[in-house]
Amino acid sequence: MNRRQFFKTTGGVTLLSCSGMTSMLMDLYAFGGKANLSQVEARYYKELPEREIECLLCPRFCKLGDKERGYCGVRENIGGKYYTLVYGKVCAINVDPIEKKPFFHFLPKTNALSIATAGCNVNCKFCQNWEISQVRPEQVEHRDFPPKMVVEYARRYTCPSIAYTYTEPAVFFEYMYDTSEEARKKQVRNTVVTGGHINPEPLRDLTEVVDAIKIDLKAFSEQFYADYVRGELQPVLEAIKIVAKSGIWLEIVYLVIPSLNDSVKEIRRTCRWLLEEIGPEVPVHFSRFHPMYLVKNLPPTPVSTLERAHRVALEEGLHYVYIGNVPGHKAESTFCPKCKRVVIKRVGYHIQNVELDGGKCRFCNHPIPGIWS
Amino acid sequence: MKASRVIIVRGRGVLSPRREVDQKKLLQMYERGFRALTGQPDLREGFRSFFHDRDRLGLKINTIAGRELTSVPDVTLGLAKLLAGKGSLKKNIIIWDRTNRELRASGYSLNLRQGIQVFGTDTEGVGYDPTLVSHLNIGSRLSSIQAQHITASISFAILKDHGLAGVTAGMKNYFGAIHNPNKYHDFNCNPFVAELFDTQPIKNKHKLSILDCMVVQYHRGPSFHSRWAEHYNALLFSFDPVAADVAGWQIIEKLRAKKGLPSLREEDREPEYLFTAAKMGLGTAEVREIQTIEEEV
Repeated sequence: MNRRQFFKTTGGVTLLSCSGMTSMLMDLYAFGGKANLSQVEARYYKELPEREIECLLCPRFCKLGDKERGYCGVRENIGGKYYTLVYGKVCAINVDPIEKKPFFHFLPKTNALSIATAGCNVNCKFCQNWEISQVRPEQVEHRDFPPKMVVEYARRYTCPSIAYTYTEPAVFFEYMYDTSEEARKKQVRNTVVTGGHINPEPLRDLTEVVDAIKIDLKAFSEQFYADYVRGELQPVLEAIKIVAKSGIWLEIVYLVIPSLNDSVKEIRRTCRWLLEEIGPEVPVHFSRFHPMYLVKNLPPTPVSTLERAHRVALEEGLHYVYIGNVPGHKAESTFCPKCKRVVIKRVGYHIQNVELDGGKCRFCNHPIPGIWS
Repeated sequence: MKASRVIIVRGRGVLSPRREVDQKKLLQMYERGFRALTGQPDLREGFRSFFHDRDRLGLKINTIAGRELTSVPDVTLGLAKLLAGKGSLKKNIIIWDRTNRELRASGYSLNLRQGIQVFGTDTEGVGYDPTLVSHLNIGSRLSSIQAQHITASISFAILKDHGLAGVTAGMKNYFGAIHNPNKYHDFNCNPFVAELFDTQPIKNKHKLSILDCMVVQYHRGPSFHSRWAEHYNALLFSFDPVAADVAGWQIIEKLRAKKGLPSLREEDREPEYLFTAAKMGLGTAEVREIQTIEEEV
């Protein structure tokens, strides 16, 4: 794989769209050399008789014999001990606007050094980054990027935060955790973009060292999760509650897929649950689907469908509801729930105007929740 | 009738406890097996019933469990040499699996040059075909060896108990031909084993299943555990991929019963994917409809 291909496989992200970013990326690409897999002992597993182990990281609870890998493809039982093969082995690095994650109430107008390793613990049929998430680490080019170096690069490129993103960060938990600890020492913040398919204990531990988590709630039915995600809904709902309760910043994304999870009934049930369990202040993004990976037989989500979901969420009482992947749509902006005026005007990932003063609406002084500085 | 016939050839002492191969006996086992399978006394004629001289033949082996539970190289090479000699495929046989590391760890010498080639999908310049094969519940990239290099395939698999699938044999061996086998172990690998086999690049090229039953892991597989591994000294042949695996499953059940272990059904891990495969028309899963011929050399 050459340099051009390496960039192309970084999840289709718009890394080169940021002005002046190309030279940075060349520099990022230049560090280290081609790397072997890591062999760092995993956390959250238990040893079983006959050199078997049970992984306790995610709700799959993979039971594995010697030389077998978990569903994620990046953790392996070697002689009765369990190892992560991707510690410090990044396959994607970019400097992204934080709005791209998306985080809309977290350090707006800043960049996040965004990294990923290979692997994922579900298999969404509509995955946008399947070329790096649905592979084993030896199938993609990766580089050594140890925690201290990640933090150093974040500072060098004026990124006040690091984003663990693109694939499923839960599967590179140890690397994410250690990097987050290093980052905190240097006043660099940590954000996580996850499907929330992680067990309570590791998630609670993670919330001790990161600052914000965005969870993809992919639908509100177990059947959808079984058929299209190859996972379960209930653990994701638990994860949302745990993060909300932890006090760190939380945002929710719901990818609206025509005919699969876009009914008014399902959207309403989702919103009611969110309102009841985590309150009206957590931002919720309804994002537009584009045909991808194994779901190519459906059209992109009509904007009218997203607008309907947006309307339903507001009707149900959620305060910060956004429409994603429709650049220029007015629902990309943040409206003050009290005076209804625009307090953050966005166009795509670009912020045109911020009307906040100390985290409050400049027009009516209403507090807008978020981490603003 | 070819479709549901299974030939099991046993060769007492063909593999010594130190994994040394009695080459003469091994050759006899192959010859006996192929003659019984094809019904042709002349091996060359028999081979022509399932591949042509112009074919590029792949022998997909399974090296994941390491040296103790992988086909001994002499056993695999014995088959390849027989096919090359009698089948006029001298430059067109590839012995292959996922990685060169696993091949080497199992005692194979890599050979990318002339003669019978031996290499893994991770060989530079090989890799996985960029085309995403999407079929039923399957979404995978296939090894370029399976997708591009070969025109005919023999699944030369190890017969093993499998903690999730129940049994791993000829059909599940093709999990080693895709980039993401870790995604297909839910629900006892059902229907994934059958649906993967049903993809065009596999089904259309698969000609024959041969199960290496020299050492059978009948419990606690697919990893090697000497305590539950039997020197069975047999080879199993079938044109019917489902019947081959069903017959292999019966061997595992017999060994389990002999050792006082519960059946796979009792452990709730019967290989249901075989019945799914039968329903999909890939072969015969009913034991009473499979004609099993046992021979000994």
